[in-house]
Amino acid sequence: MVRILGYILILGVSVVELKTYSQSLFSSRAMGIGAYAPLVNDTRSFTENPAGIVHIRDWDLSIGTYIPAIRGSQGFVFQGVGLGKKILDDLAVAIQYSQGSAMEFGLPIAFSLEAVPVSVGKRINYDEPFAAAIGYRLSNRVSVGLSGRITRQKITDVQYQYDTLSLRFRQLPDNVSEVNVTSIDVGVQWKPFDVLSLSVVRRGLARFENGSFPDDLESYKLSNRRFLDLGASVRLRTNITMSAQYSTAQTGSLGVEWLSGNDFALRTGVYMNNDGSPFVSAVGAGVGWGYKFFSVDIAYLKFTSQKDRQGTSLVEQFDPSSITSIDLNRYTSDRVQFSLKVVFGNVRTSLVTIGGVEILEGVYPSAYEAFATRPIGRVRVKNISDQPIDVRARFYVEKYMDSPTESQPVYMLPGEEKELPLTAIFNEKVKGVEQMMVREGNVYVSATPAEEYDDKYAARVVIHGKHDWDGSVYSLRYFVTPEDPSILRYTRDVLLQHKDSLGNVSAGLEDFQKARVLFNAFAGKLVYVSDPKQSADYVQYPSETLQLQGGDCDDMTTCFSSLLNSVGISTAFVDVVPPEDSSKSHVYLLFDTGLDPRFGNSISPNAKRYITRKNQKGIETIWIPIETTVMTRGFEAAWSQGAQEYFDDVEIGLGLIKGWVKIVDVY
Amino acid sequence: MKKVLSILMIVGAMFMAKGEGIVLKKVSGDVHVRHGVAEVWTKIAVGDVLKPDDTMKTGEKGLALLVVNGGKRISLPPEVIVDVSDIRDLTQEELMLKLTMEKVRASSYQWKNDEMNVPNAKIVHGADRTPTQPLTENQLEIGRFEWNGTKVLYDNGYYSTSALKAMDVLRRYPPLGEKFENRLLIAQALERANLRGEALSEYVALSQSEKLTGEQHDLVKSRVNQLRKQAGR
Repeated sequence: MVRILGYILILGVSVVELKTYSQSLFSSRAMGIGAYAPLVNDTRSFTENPAGIVHIRDWDLSIGTYIPAIRGSQGFVFQGVGLGKKILDDLAVAIQYSQGSAMEFGLPIAFSLEAVPVSVGKRINYDEPFAAAIGYRLSNRVSVGLSGRITRQKITDVQYQYDTLSLRFRQLPDNVSEVNVTSIDVGVQWKPFDVLSLSVVRRGLARFENGSFPDDLESYKLSNRRFLDLGASVRLRTNITMSAQYSTAQTGSLGVEWLSGNDFALRTGVYMNNDGSPFVSAVGAGVGWGYKFFSVDIAYLKFTSQKDRQGTSLVEQFDPSSITSIDLNRYTSDRVQFSLKVVFGNVRTSLVTIGGVEILEGVYPSAYEAFATRPIGRVRVKNISDQPIDVRARFYVEKYMDSPTESQPVYMLPGEEKELPLTAIFNEKVKGVEQMMVREGNVYVSATPAEEYDDKYAARVVIHGKHDWDGSVYSLRYFVTPEDPSILRYTRDVLLQHKDSLGNVSAGLEDFQKARVLFNAFAGKLVYVSDPKQSADYVQYPSETLQLQGGDCDDMTTCFSSLLNSVGISTAFVDVVPPEDSSKSHVYLLFDTGLDPRFGNSISPNAKRYITRKNQKGIETIWIPIETTVMTRGFEAAWSQGAQEYFDDVEIGLGLIKGWVKIVDVY
Repeated sequence: MKKVLSILMIVGAMFMAKGEGIVLKKVSGDVHVRHGVAEVWTKIAVGDVLKPDDTMKTGEKGLALLVVNGGKRISLPPEVIVDVSDIRDLTQEELMLKLTMEKVRASSYQWKNDEMNVPNAKIVHGADRTPTQPLTENQLEIGRFEWNGTKVLYDNGYYSTSALKAMDVLRRYPPLGEKFENRLLIAQALERANLRGEALSEYVALSQSEKLTGEQHDLVKSRVNQLRKQAGR
């Protein structure tokens, strides 16, 4: 029978020694913000709200360590490690081992025996080494979670027995009393709106105790109160989130997180307590930075009152039953916290979704190269994750593209929506499309880190026939093919035949004469015919016009433009859409003689027969209008007709400044 | 009945001729017209209605009187070439747009930065032979006739078209731009057309000429100061 000797003289023992190793707040992000329950999204401090682990993408590992900011601190203390895994689309599990999540109290009893000071007492240990959770996503906006925490409570009573025979004290084996409590918490996370997240956590929903304390030690048992944590976070702007939390245990917290570009975050929070200590019990602040698969966070927690937090406390004020959580209590000390989170694995959840795809225009084979930089469409995307991401969009049309084209990455904050342009690099096969067709254009969006894609959308893409033209004069230039071998061959042959006459031309008139020679040769070979489809949206390629020896106004214009371009003469289209009757729209040609206006009389004494305008180099030169529909009548007639039309439309009708005449350079 | 109809048609035609278009009222000496883009001058007779694309020319001793829309009378002195299309008023906006196109290649489509400029004509050509006959500049005599036509426009209050015409003539006949009076006319025409900013630019450019006499410099400077004052600068 072991018993404490009753006659030991107690000499006024009054101090409790504390060794509060840690809390289970081993996430610096959680510590910096304070109100973390509505923001839990991985294994970091998942016991704050187990419902949050449904956001784990695959494997999720977090490690925490800290430095206590108290006298005699031994430096870094390993706090714990958490590991989570998404096991089904909507189901995730997590476990946590927190070696450092422990508190130790020493209650010394000092007395003097035969004038020799002797200290005996109790050692009280609380720790919470293990926790596990399971989370399930009920819908895109609601998830629930269940977590279990094992809290060990141990009292070691040091005992001595007075031996009446030897008249000496001898130490007896410690009297150890131990209680293990398994607490079950249940949490809910609900996002009624994209910007709002609510959380409810019922702490101590169920408790399973194993072991007991003797009656005289019962007062050292931790609180078994059940309480409710209510939290809410609001995204005030795309990069600022505010969070608040209230507990029926009379505590609360308020925090804010600001995300900058480059995955950098700043956080701060205040902790409140209504237990008689200062209302604002602590202030937290932290920074974080993430890069692809990992993130690093640092936080500092500073308590406004240092009473009981420096390692000692008065015995009469020591009240373990007031400790409702090892997370935060009156004995927790200031600290600097470090945590690291790593994401790994193959399975990943979508970070970005497609809100819609709009194909802006059909693909005209003649102008297919333009889509390399000019968007063929756009995709509306949304960052559905709770972290900043880089989003890319890819576009692919099978057979007509060799590989998908990818947009530049766009930085997006959580919840943000943006539109990304879709470009397309078509291959040569598109030029072989004879008739208009519809093909599937696949749009993929992915967020960094990404391996394949987060979302996919199949859009309908109209690919027109190779001769189709959208009616815009800007697109007509894509039918001009001066480098076509048949064009080059033709112009060389013609110029060679007129080598002698061209050799006698005055300096400065070479291009004018070349154009005249080419035109007359061209005119003598061709006849004007209507579009085979009786419409204005069919254009022949110049080599076909030469081969077929005929074409309509568009065909003739693009062909003659190609011929002139092939010998270095610049051209421009004049597009006339009469305001009184747009169905009578018409295109004819200007070509650059390269001649200075000072020498205009060398071409014609009538200045109405030519136009002075700047060329590509910004130099004013004389340009000649040519109406190709009358080309069979020869160069002079086509020139006169073109000049007359230009004068009527531009000078008299003021069509150029009124917008119904456009001049589009071909280069 | 036929006679009545004929008389009615003639009277109607006279009314039309009187009420619309530009009619040649009087002719003296050498007066010709050139239609549209034709290169030949033809004789013209009193009563002829001029078309908008016609060009009038008076010779060394030629004189002509035009009646515009049955009201305004314009006298053409000797040695004048004037385009009928210039005998009209442009709005201030039309003039500004025209001037903008004079300065920049506004008539051409400017490809957007984000759009690829497909170089369809890449071929570079070098001079392949020595030219045999040098060109001669436009005959200054014709330029002088055209400039006189510009002054007729100005004197008759067609400031917008006279400014545009003056610029066009100087572009084709650069030596005419060496005369102070000619450049001054452009600035004055712009000022009269209420394009004070453009007029100020012309005056400032003119003031920087080193060939101005003291009197000319003072004149230009006073106009610059006046326009700056009006603009509140």
